[in-house]
Amino acid sequence: LQPPEKPLQDEEWNRLRENFQLPEIFEEVMLNSMIRCNSHIDVAKSLLTHMAKQNGDIAYNMLVKYLTLCVQQGQVSEIRDVYDIMKVRFKILEIGAYNLLIKGLSNSDQWRMALTILEEAKKIMIPSRTSYESCIKAASRHQDVKLAFELYNEMLAKNIVPTLDVLQYFFDFSMGMKGAELQKELFGILLYLRENQIYPHKTFMQSIKLWFESIPGGNWRGQLTNIKDSGQCPVCNHQLEDSNLTEEEYNNLSERIIRDVIHGTDTFRKTSPQEFKAFQTFVESRLPFDIVIDGLNVSHIKPRKMQCENLFEAINCLAKENVRLLVLGRKHMLINSSNWKREIMKEMQNKADFFFADNISEDDAFLLYATLRSGKHCKFVTRDFLRDHKACLSDSLTRHLFRKWQRGHQISKNDGFFSVFSQQPAFRYDCVVQTTGDTWHIPYKDVFEEKYSYRVPRKWLCVQQKR
Amino acid sequence: MQSANMLLKKVVRSSVLPFAAQHGMKKDLFPLSRTLSLSLCLKQDNSCTPSEKTDLDAWKKVMKSGLQEEVSETVSEPQEFSSLAAARETLEMWRLAGRSVPEKVSEEQLKAFMECPSKSAKKKYLRFLYLKELHKKNDRRKMEEKRERRLEAQEQTSKTEETNKSPFACLWASTMDKAYNWRAAQSMIFGQPLVFDMSFENEMSVREVANTVKQLVLSESCNRRSVDPFHIHFCNFKDNSLYHTEFLKHYREAWGKLLITVTDQCYTEVFPKDKLIYLTADSPRVMKSFDHDKIYIVGSMVDKSIKTGVSLARAKRLGLETAALPLEKYLLWNTGAKNLTLDQMMRILLTLKDTDDWKKALEFVPKRKYCGFVNKPISELKKTDLINILKLGKRQQEVQKGFAKNYSKKYKLNQK
Repeated sequence: LQPPEKPLQDEEWNRLRENFQLPEIFEEVMLNSMIRCNSHIDVAKSLLTHMAKQNGDIAYNMLVKYLTLCVQQGQVSEIRDVYDIMKVRFKILEIGAYNLLIKGLSNSDQWRMALTILEEAKKIMIPSRTSYESCIKAASRHQDVKLAFELYNEMLAKNIVPTLDVLQYFFDFSMGMKGAELQKELFGILLYLRENQIYPHKTFMQSIKLWFESIPGGNWRGQLTNIKDSGQCPVCNHQLEDSNLTEEEYNNLSERIIRDVIHGTDTFRKTSPQEFKAFQTFVESRLPFDIVIDGLNVSHIKPRKMQCENLFEAINCLAKENVRLLVLGRKHMLINSSNWKREIMKEMQNKADFFFADNISEDDAFLLYATLRSGKHCKFVTRDFLRDHKACLSDSLTRHLFRKWQRGHQISKNDGFFSVFSQQPAFRYDCVVQTTGDTWHIPYKDVFEEKYSYRVPRKWLCVQQKR
Repeated sequence: MQSANMLLKKVVRSSVLPFAAQHGMKKDLFPLSRTLSLSLCLKQDNSCTPSEKTDLDAWKKVMKSGLQEEVSETVSEPQEFSSLAAARETLEMWRLAGRSVPEKVSEEQLKAFMECPSKSAKKKYLRFLYLKELHKKNDRRKMEEKRERRLEAQEQTSKTEETNKSPFACLWASTMDKAYNWRAAQSMIFGQPLVFDMSFENEMSVREVANTVKQLVLSESCNRRSVDPFHIHFCNFKDNSLYHTEFLKHYREAWGKLLITVTDQCYTEVFPKDKLIYLTADSPRVMKSFDHDKIYIVGSMVDKSIKTGVSLARAKRLGLETAALPLEKYLLWNTGAKNLTLDQMMRILLTLKDTDDWKKALEFVPKRKYCGFVNKPISELKKTDLINILKLGKRQQEVQKGFAKNYSKKYKLNQK
């Protein structure tokens, strides 16, 4: 349906309506296509007038559609008129209309009104994050920085996740501005990135860099760099934070793994209490291990090869002097079959400790337990991303801890044999936004949309203050 | 002409109102009539000359006029309303905005709506109610249509002749019921037991429990209608549980008269352990044939979020034998989870008991989930056989995708 070029008379609308297949929804479809084609609002007005004459009233959803068109074109006076009409006509509006009004008004000199509408919207429901963002942008555009940060903090308090866009905006408009308070707030945003393990994208990183360098009298210098595998920053020679968890975090994580992942709602779902007990005594009597291997996962690395050969190769590759290996598997591996040759199994058992779980138990949970029990130096080998186990952890904080620990302890890429692995090798340093007061190190992504959530950026922004 | 008049009247009515409102809604007839005639002329002028530019903001006047009237009505209402009323108001606005919101919402539903933890949960719940309302409305409409048709038919027959008499007595539903109940009663003495494990209430949401009970009611009815029914046991059944209240909703007073055994005991207390087999899709063991001496257990659980291993955990805890239906073996699986609904399980088990024919029994697996039946186990089939079966399938593209996913390791399909 193509909307007309210019306003139509009643008769013309009637004619169009009659020619339309479903006359009942003609107006709705027409307005939708006007929004799509971005028609002149006079055309929409003439349709509304036609509707008003016909029915003596205009339905709410039609008004909202008209409002959408007005917002799309920034027709502020029309937006106000529609709002006035709606306000008297209905006791409250629904959230969609509020969002539109806020979006429309915040871009104009009537932006204060957007704030009152935001207040109104709060009464019925939590406003959307785009509403907050429109208001924040409006407030900061008009130099009301305090208000902007108030809104931002309110947003965080309501557990609304801000877009990177609005965070970047804060840095953009604060460029060259002075004030300890402002600086504190912006550092707060950087710490927010740290806590939630968010990585800024390239343009956002540029804004951060420029802001730092624009602080009057701050003497900040920013430089892009790659961190060495040792975790040292080549620019300022600063050693990045260790990827190891603190004692408390570590204990917390192991406790939660046992509680949420292994036991969960019912211990029998993943293992059985007898089996877990047996495993615990097995592990305790042989502690500590250096590397724990997920036997079945590793045995599938090269599909053309016999499974036990794959595993054998892996063990040979990892077994060095004084390295204690633990291989987790299932009982069916012990039965002589085309894939599992008894002699090779025997030979492997001389080089490493083996634990065989029941065929219907989950060995991954044991993998996590054994690694955590062995201590911070212990690493584990699997291609599995362990997403399902991470999902068993109930709160996001522990999930972050798990990811961090996993990054530091999961071996999945090595020369030669382990080249099949797609993940990165264990990191020695922690890949988050970090500061020492006079330096900041901020990892960033090249593109806005990163395809893999498990992949951490390799590029960093190093900012240091020259005294 | 008439319609034009109507139109005019409408316009006039609406354009009069602001005037009346401005004058404090005095019910003075005289000024009213004067504006009436005035605006009449105005409008006529307008319609006489279509070439003249229309007032594009006319709609605003109309809207503002209509609302003044309403405002003056609503002003007397108390300004503050309770949170319930506010929620109702929100719903109404959503409905006006064209979202899927039911017309009628009960107090109880409104409370449930407010308790939804997030915006999307609220939307989902409303959509559920909306669809329910839609179905109800459609059903009612169909019923009415049917009744009308029946009345018409009756009129016609009464006009023509009295009905011709059949030599057989009409078998009414109650007679059938009696026959069924006899069979069910017999099964309670001699029938093979079939256990439904009712211990999953904590694993399910309220809606899942409601769905479970619905499926159980269906299973019970098709068991009753079968030639040789099972003796149904509901084990681990707690009185006043959510299951119980849902059953009462469905059966009402018939709940006490059902020819099944309901007990709060566990099946291990009722039957010898070595005879029990827990049926679960997670079982590593695959059922080969139906054993008439065993007692099969089905978990009464609907898990929309696919919680794996819940019923397997029950069996493990009690050390019971488990089994899964040989779906992979006989069906070329297409999409969907391998857990079936309780009534499908019931039909499959009934058919197996009567015929021991897997093909017949697995007819009750939903057609969308598989794309063909094979008589031999899939691992023994040749490549060409598989392709032939796939070609018979209707949605080849889809099927091949699903097939490639499931069996790609064993056979490489030639797509050309």
